[in-house]
Amino acid sequence: MNQLLPALSSESLKLKRTLALWMVFIAPFIVILLQFFILYDRANFFAGRDAWGVLMYGVTSIWAIFMLPLFITLETALLSGLEHSGQSWKHLFAQPIPRWSVYAAKLLTVMGMILVSTVVLVLGEIGAGKLLSDLRPELRFHESPNLTMMVRMATMVYLASWILLAFHTWVSMRWKSFALAAGVGVAGTFFAVFASGARIGKFYPWLFPVNAVSTSPERMKLAILLGIIGGAIIAVVGCWNVVRRDVD
Amino acid sequence: MNHTALETVGLTRSFGGLIAVNNIHLNVEAGSVFGFLGPNGAGKTTTIRIVLGLIKPDRGRVMLFGQDLSSHRLSILGRVGALVETPSLYNHLTGFENLEVTRRLLGCPKENIENALEIVKLTEAAHRLVREYSLGMRQRLGLALALLNRPEILILDEPTNGLDPAGIREMRALIKQLPAQFGITVFLSSHLLSEVEQLASHVGIIHQGTLLFQGSLNELHAHQHERLVLEVDRPAVAMELLTQQGWHVQREENNRLTVSSQGRKDAAFINSLLVREGLKVFHLSRQQPSLEETFFQLTGEPTAGDPT
Ligand SMILES: Nc1ncnc2c1ncn2[C@@H]1O[C@H](COP(=O)(O)OP(=O)(O)OP(=O)(O)O)[C@@H](O)[C@H]1O
Ligand SMILES: [Mg+2]
Repeated sequence: MNQLLPALSSESLKLKRTLALWMVFIAPFIVILLQFFILYDRANFFAGRDAWGVLMYGVTSIWAIFMLPLFITLETALLSGLEHSGQSWKHLFAQPIPRWSVYAAKLLTVMGMILVSTVVLVLGEIGAGKLLSDLRPELRFHESPNLTMMVRMATMVYLASWILLAFHTWVSMRWKSFALAAGVGVAGTFFAVFASGARIGKFYPWLFPVNAVSTSPERMKLAILLGIIGGAIIAVVGCWNVVRRDVD
Repeated sequence: MNHTALETVGLTRSFGGLIAVNNIHLNVEAGSVFGFLGPNGAGKTTTIRIVLGLIKPDRGRVMLFGQDLSSHRLSILGRVGALVETPSLYNHLTGFENLEVTRRLLGCPKENIENALEIVKLTEAAHRLVREYSLGMRQRLGLALALLNRPEILILDEPTNGLDPAGIREMRALIKQLPAQFGITVFLSSHLLSEVEQLASHVGIIHQGTLLFQGSLNELHAHQHERLVLEVDRPAVAMELLTQQGWHVQREENNRLTVSSQGRKDAAFINSLLVREGLKVFHLSRQQPSLEETFFQLTGEPTAGDPT
């Protein structure tokens, strides 16, 4: 841990003035905005229903199916891209710090950033709900939001996404190409559409975030369990792989 | 007291079928400036990457400060500063922030940043984005990064490559002051003989992965064979005569011959031999070969001209 803190503090300074940092706020904001306009536009249609519930399920679905997997792809690619384009690996790996700490710091930084985005998402949901209840009184926002439920769902989605975080951190550090990292992420997200109907859907990592809030308890448990355990395994193996390679 | 700062023992590394570094034994004395000279593709960068632990050798060991790199990597790297090929910089950060990123990793005091900036003369530009830096400024910031940890040995891979003449002069002046002012041992690679001559006290010549020469600059000079230039009335006869006696003779233009020789005794001997045989000697002079020629003799390749 003593060796990790310097690496983490160094990582955080690198975020200054980066798109990656802005995206932490932009990505959840886009999702909130989307769901906000759906409710605003079709207020009559949703008038009879529990508006907090509609808002929460809408936001969580868009986030878990599309935005989060693509966002993880983008963030890992951007962060590793800083090192690739600055030719910094040879400098970092020649510093008197353990090599694994360089890898771990990158992974933990992205994990932290996605966690912040998750918090922003929950805060955004509450804000959007309050605003909508003023603008569209016909929506049934009379009860206060089910905060426990919101935090629970966001947390489960986040935990199930660890496998994607670990995987994309490895891909982006291992290969220089931004196109490759982006291609893998987009393909993974794209094929999730087909996998969701199939039986293997519950084992398909890009579906783990959305499966984590599935109504089927089996799917839900599997997604969270495999998301965390798979994430841990890929993190260790990925680190081992990158750290042993020739540094160029 | 001369102890060894850097030593490599039988360093060997190949990429696919190509042996990039072949059984290299380097010996760099503490306090010296060691010029690691070789043409493009000779294996300089590969050697340096092995020394920094960035790639593993197929065979051989790296010893720094008397310790084995493979077993004391972290404590050794704490005493080493390096600039390999182009500097590793984040364009979206300022010069100062770039140093701070590394300082946080090292955990060294903040004043090291100020000092490093001062040495490379970037104090004024420290708070500008590196994106706006000139090539020379980037290279100097790279040097500052290498100096941040107050290293005992500085390893620089072609530190003047790509700079304009003014930038090259500036960089050389910076490097030159380091051993005397801060007691830093410098190991620098270059493909320019004149650069090594200007900066280094010791030189190692590498070619196609093999170390062809290692020693002080003086020893390199002593290693060279001088030549005798002769002008005679019947060069063909002279040539036959000298060759019979075992001299290595070459025919040049204008009735001239060059003879590989060593020192004044040879000159006197050859002169009397020719005169005794009735030849007329019009001209006789001893010539020291330039380092360029020595390099050419060793490697079979000319070195590039110095851009300054
Ligand atoms: N990662 C690699 N993969 C394959 N071949 C390599 C690799 N790195 C170096 N080589 C080869 O090893 C040889 C030595 O290369 P190296 O970069 O060490 O030379 P150098 O002396 O630094 O040359 P230069 O002056 O061009 O920088 C070259 O033939 C090069 O093509
Ligand atoms: Mg090189």
